[in-house]
Amino acid sequence: MLALVKLVQSIVKALHSDGTPGQVALGLALGSIVGLTPLMNLHNAVVLGLIIILNVSFPGAMLGIAVFTPFGFLLDPLFDAAGRRLLVDTPALTPLWTSLANTPVVPLTNFNNTVVLGSVAVSLALFVPLTLAARWGVARYRATIGERIRRSAWYRAVTASKAYNVYRLFRPET
Amino acid sequence: MKIFRWRAIGPLLLFLAGLGVLWWLFADRIARRTAEDVGTTVLGARVDIDRLHIDLAKGAVEVRGLTVASPFEPFKNLLQADELVANVAIEPLLEKKVVIDRLAANGLRFGTTRTTSGLVAPGDQAAATRNVGAQVQAFGERFHIPALALAGGALEVGGLDVNRLETVGAARALAGRADSSRQAWLTQLTTLDPRATVDSTMRLVERLKTARPTDLALINDARRQLDAVTRLQQGVTGLERSVRAGADSLGASVRALDAARQRDYAFARSLVQLPSFDAPNLAAALFGSAAIQRFQRALYWAQLGRQYLPPGLRPRETPGPRRARRAGTDVQFPRERAWPGFLLREGELSFTLAPESEAPQQFAGRLEGLTSAPAIYGRPTTFTAAGPAVRVGAMVDHVGAEARDTAAAEIGGVALPAVLIPGLPLRLEAGRGTVGLSFALEGDRVRGAWRVRAPAVAWARDSTAPRGSDVQQLVERVLSGIGDIDLEARLGGSLAAPALAVRSNLDDVLAARLRAVLGEEVAVVERALRARVDSAVGTQVGAVSAQVAGLTDEATRRLGIERTQLDQARQALEQQLRQLTRGLPGIRIP
Repeated sequence: MLALVKLVQSIVKALHSDGTPGQVALGLALGSIVGLTPLMNLHNAVVLGLIIILNVSFPGAMLGIAVFTPFGFLLDPLFDAAGRRLLVDTPALTPLWTSLANTPVVPLTNFNNTVVLGSVAVSLALFVPLTLAARWGVARYRATIGERIRRSAWYRAVTASKAYNVYRLFRPET
Repeated sequence: MKIFRWRAIGPLLLFLAGLGVLWWLFADRIARRTAEDVGTTVLGARVDIDRLHIDLAKGAVEVRGLTVASPFEPFKNLLQADELVANVAIEPLLEKKVVIDRLAANGLRFGTTRTTSGLVAPGDQAAATRNVGAQVQAFGERFHIPALALAGGALEVGGLDVNRLETVGAARALAGRADSSRQAWLTQLTTLDPRATVDSTMRLVERLKTARPTDLALINDARRQLDAVTRLQQGVTGLERSVRAGADSLGASVRALDAARQRDYAFARSLVQLPSFDAPNLAAALFGSAAIQRFQRALYWAQLGRQYLPPGLRPRETPGPRRARRAGTDVQFPRERAWPGFLLREGELSFTLAPESEAPQQFAGRLEGLTSAPAIYGRPTTFTAAGPAVRVGAMVDHVGAEARDTAAAEIGGVALPAVLIPGLPLRLEAGRGTVGLSFALEGDRVRGAWRVRAPAVAWARDSTAPRGSDVQQLVERVLSGIGDIDLEARLGGSLAAPALAVRSNLDDVLAARLRAVLGEEVAVVERALRARVDSAVGTQVGAVSAQVAGLTDEATRRLGIERTQLDQARQALEQQLRQLTRGLPGIRIP
């Protein structure tokens, strides 16, 4: 239940954050990478660093992580198969993987794991379509029902929380 | 719009600093748990570490209180180490590779006891380790260790099912073959039809008697008839050859019935479990299981080495790390002239042997070139250790396409483990002595030897066991009177078909005593058994032997008659032709 409340909070904050639809969409797309791929990996540290340092919507990123993490679990068999196809079943790529496996730092990303590589490949492939779709969706939301929800009592309750103050630290700069 | 959120730099640095603090606080713990988990899943037994400290600045890893349980005995440790200090190269760590330039291991102890079981469930072992365990188990089951048959009471000829005797089936099959051969030969003889040719030849001879020399058509007929007779004779000769070969084959099958009968004797003997007086069988029965256990352990480590130190440079797959998400598969991509995933260049090991005894022995060993990618490292892994009355050497050569693993050890003056004697309530307390074990696995060929020399042994009887038969009591008495052991077990063959030969000083003594006491009784039973088998198979074997002999005789006789008649017809025809053409110039019979 708490997770559901948090998810609703994330959605609300993201949709009504100060960021432009593009910033929210980029944050959501970056968050989707963290959500879709196994968390404890070096590439996720880089993505989290980008979410912090780039002027994208932080709530959008949190929303991306929250929404796409369950999909990550669900799609693991697909990621495993995709990674296997790339790592094992495509001999033409073997020299590339061999070279990367013997390059400093790169092996620390665990790219040689079928699930990690498969999920990263799929999430990168989804990055642009997801960004475009999210930008369109956020813009449509704000143009239609966004203002009514902003005036509602429960929205004010959400934005009044302490978490909201933390969020303001990462509020996109226009 | 700005691209970077500059005011987040502070929190980002704080975040990174937090990560650094977490590393400082938990890296040792995480590394220790990871090492324990990986060690446990790979070795198939619990691995515990009291303390592990990583000092990246100095490139040192320090392990204290390492305990590796035995995968074979729940309450024994394979080894314990007080301290391991490894000098780790930093650069390969960036490629997620562990290269240890030097390892110093102090206070290594083997075979210590533990209070809790060190075995782990198969589910907690790596799949490769589980497979090795299953392979080793199957390897042990491929040996046929004779049971020490100590029949109680009177020896009797048990129920013998005639249909299970090999000779009966073989005799039936041979009778069928003889019938088929007879039929085939008759058919061939009928096809040749020598009688018709003989008759036509004789009729031609009669016509030639009244013919004139100018009757050239008749002379040409005679020549054609001569050709036909020649062809027929060749056919008969071919058939004779075929009959001889067939008769030889049937004769060999008749002789094979004797060998089958010998096997039936052995089969019948096994049904009543007569005690064996054969010394090697007795040795195998007494010590075969213990020897196989030693070789199985050696094979376990050799096969584990092959799983985790595989030859070749092809990409290798291993299960991914355990996590909430699917583990997936890790694919290793080894490359020439690069670091292997793991390499221990050299290790200086200081051992204590028999640590729980009154006089533990100290000795030193050296391990070189232990690597997860032998083909990259290009040199085999070697281990040597020496000390007073201790010699150990091992080489794991996975550099080439065919893996070769050899190890040999001889340790003197150690307390030898007790050996339970199968089939008897006796335990051999070997005391102090010398034990040697050598093992080699080249491809799938296996070779090994286990030697035990104990000058002062004791025999302990399970006091709760029943008294047993007279034979058992005799065996116990004989064994208990033997005060020293000189045992050797040799392993050979392949993994799929291993062979074990065991001999010891007990065998001959025991065999002689058993033969003296039980020999006559066993001989009577064996005679009865042979009579049972003979009565069951004798009639059939006699009948089929007679059938084969009769068939050969009949075929030879009939072919002889046909050949004689053909020869006579040919001679008569040739004679008439000569008479008819005598004096005619330029005409010669062929």
